[in-house]
This record gives sequence, C-alpha cells and structure tokens, in this order.
Amino acid sequence: MKKRKTNIQWERLIYGGAAILLFLVIWQILVKPGSAKFATPLEVGEFILQHITTKVGPCTIWGHAGWSLSRVGVGYILAAAAGIVLALLMSQSKVCNIILHPLFDLLRPIPPIAWVPLAILWFGIFEKAKYFIIFIGAFVPFVMNTYTGAVRVDKKLIDAALMLGTPPRTIFFRVVFPAIVPQIFAGAQVALTNAWMTVIGAEMARATEGVGWMILKGMENADMAQIVSGMAVIGVTGFLIAALMRWLEKHLIKWNVRER
Amino acid sequence: MCEQIKVQVKNLTKSYGELLVLDNVSFEVKKGEFLCIVGPTGCGKTTFLNSLTKLHDIDSGEILLDSVPVNLKKQSIAYIFQENSVLSWRTVAENVALGLEFKKKELALTKNEIKKKVRDALSIVGLLKFENYYPNQLSASMLQRVVIARAFVIAPELLLMDEPYGQLDINLRFRLEDEVVKICKQFNTTVIFITHNLEEAVYVGDRILILTNKPSKIKEELENPLPRPRDVTSSEFIKLREYVTDQIRWW
Amino acid sequence: MKKRQKIKEKIFSLLSIAGFLACWWLITDVFQLANTSLFPSPVTVFETFVDKLTNANPDGNILGVHILNSLLVVGIGYFAGTLLGIPFGIALGWYKKFEMTVRPLFDIIRTIPPIAWIPIFILWLGIGLIAKSAIVFLTVFIAAALNAYTGITSINPVHMWAGQTMGASNWQLLWKIGIPTAVPMICTGLKIGFNTAWTSLVGAELLGATEGLGYMIQMARVYCRADLVIVGMLTIGVIGLVLSIILDYLEIILTKGRY
Repeated sequence: MKKRKTNIQWERLIYGGAAILLFLVIWQILVKPGSAKFATPLEVGEFILQHITTKVGPCTIWGHAGWSLSRVGVGYILAAAAGIVLALLMSQSKVCNIILHPLFDLLRPIPPIAWVPLAILWFGIFEKAKYFIIFIGAFVPFVMNTYTGAVRVDKKLIDAALMLGTPPRTIFFRVVFPAIVPQIFAGAQVALTNAWMTVIGAEMARATEGVGWMILKGMENADMAQIVSGMAVIGVTGFLIAALMRWLEKHLIKWNVRER
Repeated sequence: MCEQIKVQVKNLTKSYGELLVLDNVSFEVKKGEFLCIVGPTGCGKTTFLNSLTKLHDIDSGEILLDSVPVNLKKQSIAYIFQENSVLSWRTVAENVALGLEFKKKELALTKNEIKKKVRDALSIVGLLKFENYYPNQLSASMLQRVVIARAFVIAPELLLMDEPYGQLDINLRFRLEDEVVKICKQFNTTVIFITHNLEEAVYVGDRILILTNKPSKIKEELENPLPRPRDVTSSEFIKLREYVTDQIRWW
Repeated sequence: MKKRQKIKEKIFSLLSIAGFLACWWLITDVFQLANTSLFPSPVTVFETFVDKLTNANPDGNILGVHILNSLLVVGIGYFAGTLLGIPFGIALGWYKKFEMTVRPLFDIIRTIPPIAWIPIFILWLGIGLIAKSAIVFLTVFIAAALNAYTGITSINPVHMWAGQTMGASNWQLLWKIGIPTAVPMICTGLKIGFNTAWTSLVGAELLGATEGLGYMIQMARVYCRADLVIVGMLTIGVIGLVLSIILDYLEIILTKGRY
C-alpha cells in the first residue's frame, strides 16, 4: 500500500512540474526581453532577487510586505475584538439582536473596497483610512461566524449544565464559549484572507508604500516585472498567513475535527 | 440432463497489499440457484462480490459468468449494496429507470417501454403509488425496496446482495426475504446472497457456502434441502441452523 | 403562531432601521453635531440620489448609466466565467491526468487575490470594458471551477459503484451521477463567484475606468462629495444584494427534491 502512495506522489510531481515548466518556457519564448509592457520570467525573477536588498521606491520588498502586514494587523485585531463582542451580544440578548442585526444586514452587502472613497474623505490619505477599511473587511466574517456558532450551540449542552445547577455566567464561559471557538476560528481565517485582499485594494487606491502600492506603481511605470513580482509576493504572503492559521487551528483547537 | 452452471469461480486469490483476504477460492453456482455466503465479519465476502463485479482487481484466478469472463456492459448484473445507493436527486421512478438508461442503446428501448418496465418493477415491490416521490420522503425500508426494484427492472442474469436487510427491523426483514425469494424464483434469477445472520441464510438459501476467517477459504458447502415455504421453528430448520452455527464458530 | 412571529420580527427590523435613520438625521440636521460636508444627513443623501438620476455632474454620467455599465461588465465576466469555469472544474475533478497536470498551475494562480490582477490587466488591456470584464471573468472562473471541482470529488462511492456494476460507460457515469452530485456545490460556486465578482468589479472601477459605480464614487471623493459617495455605496450594496437573492432562488430551483 505504501509503495502505491509514493508512486502517485511522484506522478503528481512530474506531471504538475512539467506543466509549470512548460508554461514558463512558453512565456519566456513569447516575450522579447526589454519590451515595454511585458517581461519574461527571468526578468521577473531578477527583479525579485535584486529588490530583496535594494529599494523599490521607499523601501525594499520586505519593507513593503511589512507595511502591508502591519496595516492588516491593526485592522484585524480591532475587527476581531469588535466583531466577536457584537456577535456575542446579538446572540445572547434578544433586544440587542433586534436592534443591531438589521443594521448589520444593511451594511453587509457593501463590499469593503467600496468604503475606500468615504474612508479617505473621513480619515485622510494616511494610515487611519487603511485601518478602517481593513477593519470593515475583517469585521463581517467575524460577526457572521461567531453569531452562527453562538446561536447553534447544542441546546442539550446548555440544558445539561443548567440541570446540574451551573450559574448562567459559568455556563457562558465554560460551555458556550468553548463550543463556539472552532466557529470563531473559521471566521478568523476568512477574515484574515479578506483583510489581506482589502489591504491590497486600499493601498492601490491611495498609499505611498506597501505591496499594493508597489504593483500600482508598476502599472504606472509600465514595469511588468515589478507588477508580477508584487503579485508573487502578495500570493506567497497570503498563502503563508493562511497556512499559519491552519497550523494554529490544528494545535490550539485540538478537540475540533473539521472536515476540509 | 445436467443443470446449467451460471457462475464459475476458479482459484480466486485477492490481497490488499500484504493482507491476504481470499485464498484460492473455487466454487460454482447453478442457474436459478439461491446461494448464501456466510462467514465471520471481515472475512472477505464483500471483497468477493467486488472482485466479481470488477470493482476491485484480483491477483489471480478467474470468475466466469456463462463460461465467459464477466463483462458488465453485455451481461446484466444487479448488485445491491449494504449502504443504500438510491440517488437523492432522482424520483423513485427515475431511480429505477437508471439501469435501463445505461443500456438504452444495447436494449433499444423507447421512453415508453422504459416507463412501462419501471412501473412493472415498482408494482412488484409495492411502491407504484410512490413513483414520483423523492428519496428524502421515504423510509429506509422503502428505499431498500426501490433498490430492489431497480435491480429487477433490468432482468438481471445474476443478482448480488450484500447484507441488504441489515438496516431494517425484524418484521420488514421477514417480509422482504419472502418477497425477494418469490420474485427470484419467478424469474429464475441466479442469486449470490451475503449475510452474517445465519437464520436468514438458512431461511433463504438453496445452498450455503461457509467461509473461514482471513485468509478465507471455503470451509464447507452445504445443500439446503428444506422445502419452501420454510418454517423457522421446525426441528429440521433448527437442526440445520445449529449445524451451520457450529461450523462458523467465530466467537 | 410562526407567521405572527415572522411578521413581528420584520416589523422590529424596520423599526430598528427607521430608528437608526432617525438618529442619523437628528445628529446631522437637527443637532448639527457633525460636519455635514463629511457626514451628510439622510435627507441630503436622498436628495442627491434623486438628483443623480438626471444630473450628470460631476463625473459625466447619470446614475442609471453607471449602473448599466457596471451590470454590463459584471454580466459579461460572470457569464463567461461560469461557462468556462464550471466545465473546467468538472474536468479537473473527473479526469485524474488532467488534474495532476493542471492543478498546481491553477493553485498558483488561485493564491493571488483577484484585486492584485487589476494593475496587470489594466497595463495589458487598458481601462475599458475588456479589462474590467477580464478581471470579473478571472474571479468568477476561479470560484466556479473550485466549487465544481469540490462538487465532483464529493461523489458518494456507492453511487459510482451502482453505476459501474450496471455497465455504465465513463461518460454516462459523469453525466448521470457525477454532474448531478456536483450541482449543489456548483450553485454555491455561482453565489460565491458573484459576490467576489461584484467586489472585484468595484475595485477595478475605482482604479481605472471612465464610468461605472466604482468610478462614480471615486470621482465623488475627488470632488469631496460625501453625499454622492454614500449614494454610490448604497446603490452598490442594494444591487449586489438583489442579484444575490436572485441567485438564491436559482439555487432552490436547481436543487429541488434533494432536501
């Protein structure tokens, strides 16, 4: 049995690898090096390697990634706090739910990026506006997932605790909360992906550094190598933070067996 | 006049990696015969049926149906699985028609002919009223009857059943056992029936094949001469059942 | 009893929204607590909305034209994306060789968020209809293909065995068992695809366009017209919601009988 499994892994590697290689080769052949709007894969690779140490605009590639991630960090943490609290309020208190839920539903369909112009008008062109937009992007998944998780807690668990004479406060912290943590985590993962996508959008709209800024500048300078390098960095970073979340989930929430 | 041999199994050997499951098994099934295969859980009964229907590859040996290797396209085999295999997006009638749709070209059937055959099959299992119902509206036993109707509508030369009544309660079991045996005898279908319920095996089988634990070999083949309809309380029945139980001895 | 509950809930929702609007109005118009150029009152917003239906200032088009433009772009991209994405996803899930070859490439393209594709598409295709449709197309294609793939690979093995033992060919298995199994996930893909497409469209229009709702709110910002920005945002939200609901109904039709 084990032999078969590794055989399949090898096959995948060969087929997949060959396809990617072929794609890169065709790309390399089709484009004339040094042309205006296009760049070869080699030129892209060169760009990335070069700019790990030299600057693109105000900072190196690491610097830009750092800027983007720091913005995500602030907006994300604020969204997590506000989102989880709001959702818990709405799920535990009928009054809060009746008042707040319709408002939430009203603002939900507006894509985070549509908030950019308003955010710039309100907060100017510097960091606050970006934090706000990222906050909006991450806020919605936190609220929705936490709310769904809290509302769907198995009634039997709560009833059992009540029957055993547990005071309501303890029920919340010892029964309800652990039950909804997996769901909150699911929301956290979606929120993180959203936040990452939103920060790129926000930076493209108005910024002076960051990976979003980098690819926008590339577009303005018709520098495809810069754009593609930026896209690569965005893709890889997004992938890494998603992988980090999955790893955290595996190790922090050991009791949760969610199908993937 | 010698009876026709429907199925021949010759030196069938099958292993999963290093685990040998079926070890050089050979036997025959006559046309129209109701053969029961019994044995300890996990001894390879399901593996055998899967090998027969080419869902698994076998290591060595051969399985012949009407003296030729099994050909699912040309020969009609019906396989009733342990889990219910009704398609949730099709109505009862559409589910029963499935087998006919696959062989539409070979059988050259028109839409109306298919419809008529489906209705006949549904009447036999008593579900004609429910032909336009969806599976989520039916009970487990009704779904199993849909599967049985689906099996019979293609007039199978060979019917394979893998613990088909496992999920049903006793009353339904008795009823379905009787119904299915009746239909099989009516159409002279050859049946290979797997069960771990020994009373059921003695009740329905013309012949009983007892397998050993892994690696499985045939422990014994017995004829079941009891005349139908069979009485589970009669002393001959009990004697036969006790004999089979003795042979199994897996506890 | 249940119907009464539902009506009660609907009334409360409306009351809550009305209350919110009232507070908003009080803060801006009555008590004048906010800078109305940045934080316009609901009355102003409504007036701007009505005005924009016929007034082409300051961005050169009336509201209706912007809406149609956005809908056109989303329509083209969505249609093309689902038409190509669904079969691609099905093939990816059904044919092992195809999956082994194409999947890694697909996964790489997939990790790059749609928004990051905007600069390169604008560089290649300009800022017109084609570039915007291309971005929507890519977004929808990825969502549709991914969900179709998940749908096909979630086939119940028992169903496959039933088909195989009845002598079905590979093609028959795909059409009669594979694709019907995938339909619910495909519907999910259609809905998710639309939501991300609508977001991508707004992004694309914000960054490089000459009409469309995204362009409208971007221009409104440039002219410091917070009221127009809000009108635009609400329009974007409402249209997105309405189309989303239509897709919900489509899903109910396509998956009838299963649940």
